[in-house]
Amino acid sequence: MSAAPSRTLAQRSTAAPRATHDPLWARIALTLVALLFVAFFLVLPLAAVFTEGLRRGLGAYLAAFAEADALAALRLTLIAAAISVPANLVFGIAAAWAIAKFDFPGKSVLLTLIDLPFAVSPVISGLIYVLLFGLQGWFGPYLAAGEHPWLGAWLNARDIQIIFAVPGIVLATIFVTFPFVARELIPLMQAQGTDEEYAAITLGASGWQTFRRVTLPNIKWGLFYGVILCNARAMGEFGAVSVVSGHIRGETNTLPLHVEILYNEYNFVAAFAVASLLALLALATLVLKSLVEWRYSRALAAAQTEA
Amino acid sequence: MSVLATNITKHFGSFRALDNVSLEVGAGKLVALLGPSGSGKTTLLRIIAGLEHADAGAVALHGEDVTRTPAGKRRVGFVFQHYALFRHMTVNENVAFGLTVRRRAERPSKSEIADRVHSLLKLVQLEEFGGRFPSQLSGGQRQRIALARALAVEPKVLLLDEPFGALDARVRKDLRRWLRRFHDEIGLTTVFVTHDQEEALEIADEVVVMNNARVEQVGTPQVVYDRPATPFVYQFLGNVNRLNLPWHGYVPETALAAPDGEYAVFVRPHDLEIVRSRSGLGGEPGTVVSVHAAGASANLTCERASDGEHIEVELSRAEFDLLQVRPGDAITLRIRHSRALREEYVI
Repeated sequence: MSAAPSRTLAQRSTAAPRATHDPLWARIALTLVALLFVAFFLVLPLAAVFTEGLRRGLGAYLAAFAEADALAALRLTLIAAAISVPANLVFGIAAAWAIAKFDFPGKSVLLTLIDLPFAVSPVISGLIYVLLFGLQGWFGPYLAAGEHPWLGAWLNARDIQIIFAVPGIVLATIFVTFPFVARELIPLMQAQGTDEEYAAITLGASGWQTFRRVTLPNIKWGLFYGVILCNARAMGEFGAVSVVSGHIRGETNTLPLHVEILYNEYNFVAAFAVASLLALLALATLVLKSLVEWRYSRALAAAQTEA
Repeated sequence: MSVLATNITKHFGSFRALDNVSLEVGAGKLVALLGPSGSGKTTLLRIIAGLEHADAGAVALHGEDVTRTPAGKRRVGFVFQHYALFRHMTVNENVAFGLTVRRRAERPSKSEIADRVHSLLKLVQLEEFGGRFPSQLSGGQRQRIALARALAVEPKVLLLDEPFGALDARVRKDLRRWLRRFHDEIGLTTVFVTHDQEEALEIADEVVVMNNARVEQVGTPQVVYDRPATPFVYQFLGNVNRLNLPWHGYVPETALAAPDGEYAVFVRPHDLEIVRSRSGLGGEPGTVVSVHAAGASANLTCERASDGEHIEVELSRAEFDLLQVRPGDAITLRIRHSRALREEYVI
């Protein structure tokens, strides 16, 4: 009796090799290579950030955050994210809705334009805004005091500047993070189709009710996922913001710019301490992202089986 | 008339989906819009529902012109081929949706809604499934929930777009019989779209055969099957042979009506008779080419001796067992019943 199961086991191990059944040594070697690569290029730098930050002890590490300039940079980073993320949330939903649910001329052009910020180097993105709103730029004359009868005067009276100021940083951040939400939503909404919306309409729902009760719940995980990515990029953006910010300490420095300044001043502990804050943000984003991805992949799979 | 669509024309870009189509549906009738894909049947249904707008023409429901009325105010129940259930809502919430989106003044109370949902689920025989999500139901169950949801708003007309199209053959058969009984029970005017002639012939009171953006014929299942008005209807509803004339010992009845000779003769495979001899008496001599005798009837392919044309013949099992023909046997083919139609329609 006891011979039977052992024989089936033996049969299984001597069964014809599958196409994907590589020898043990190859699997170990490949895994090892991948692990070493990850360790060297990802784990090591991450660990270095924290070790360097904590080199002079916890006191020095925390002191880096107590500094007024660091706090100002943190505040500015949060402001930029707090404005650009909701702006791109609204834009992303609107664009995805238009592209996925309607046919109109110029649709493929819009789809391509949404990807533009991914294709353009962030430095160029920043330069575009300098070119547009800088004093020598296209709109510069209208923005300068005395040049334009009311706009320049209005802005000047309120001490509002665009380039080398907070508005420029927000604009550049919006530009760079433009595609995240829309890009997440478009394939999801296309997979879901329009039948549910039509069904809601025949049942007497208004346009807003259809959106709030049918469309929005169907895309919520994709939306959340897009927002997380958008937020991570908004807080971490360096290139575009660097061009428009002007690096005025305590005023137009975001966290990534602050790290650079500290580093250039050989203040390594503070630089790495602040950098570790950004690294922590990245880690938190990753955890959130995989949590959402898990939920979202089920929603996407459900959308595809329903469709 | 419960549904009256007059002179509807609709284009999608340069594609003509409907060309001056009119449709009348009597109160309490179950009507099938039957046609191949691209014939315009679904577009017509969506125009009646208000989900599409016609380029020209008018739609009236129960005598009231609704051509410019938005879909939500037409009081039509619409059921989609792929159910279109709200995937994030339970069955109860799905069925209640049409009631909960009403303005506060018109909205029934929570307990009234719950009662209505329960009685609708009972009607579609799914009362235990209220707490489930659509993804936890089978295709047939989802379609019945979609039906209950459409009925919740007490529509004046029920429109079904390929309601059984996404189901497997077995469930499909059961569900369409169920729909027929269900229709008889509630007596609501119903229009459904299908490309399956068997489905249309089995359950509809009236069949509207559509092709190429036009209506080819309207009639009871028996009329459209037995007396097709056009060659298309002949070919679409069941199998048919188009015969080359002359046929020995046979004068088509409409040959007299169309003396110019511009007609084609159609014979259903079961309207042909096989005689086991090659005498050619009262028919055309030929040979049996192949025999498929599995099932309730036997399907034979025969070759006419005079011109080598292949002709399909369907015999009942009893006839076939008596005849005992095999491929290669010499036979005589006789026509029992045929129809001649004007050639100009032949596709």
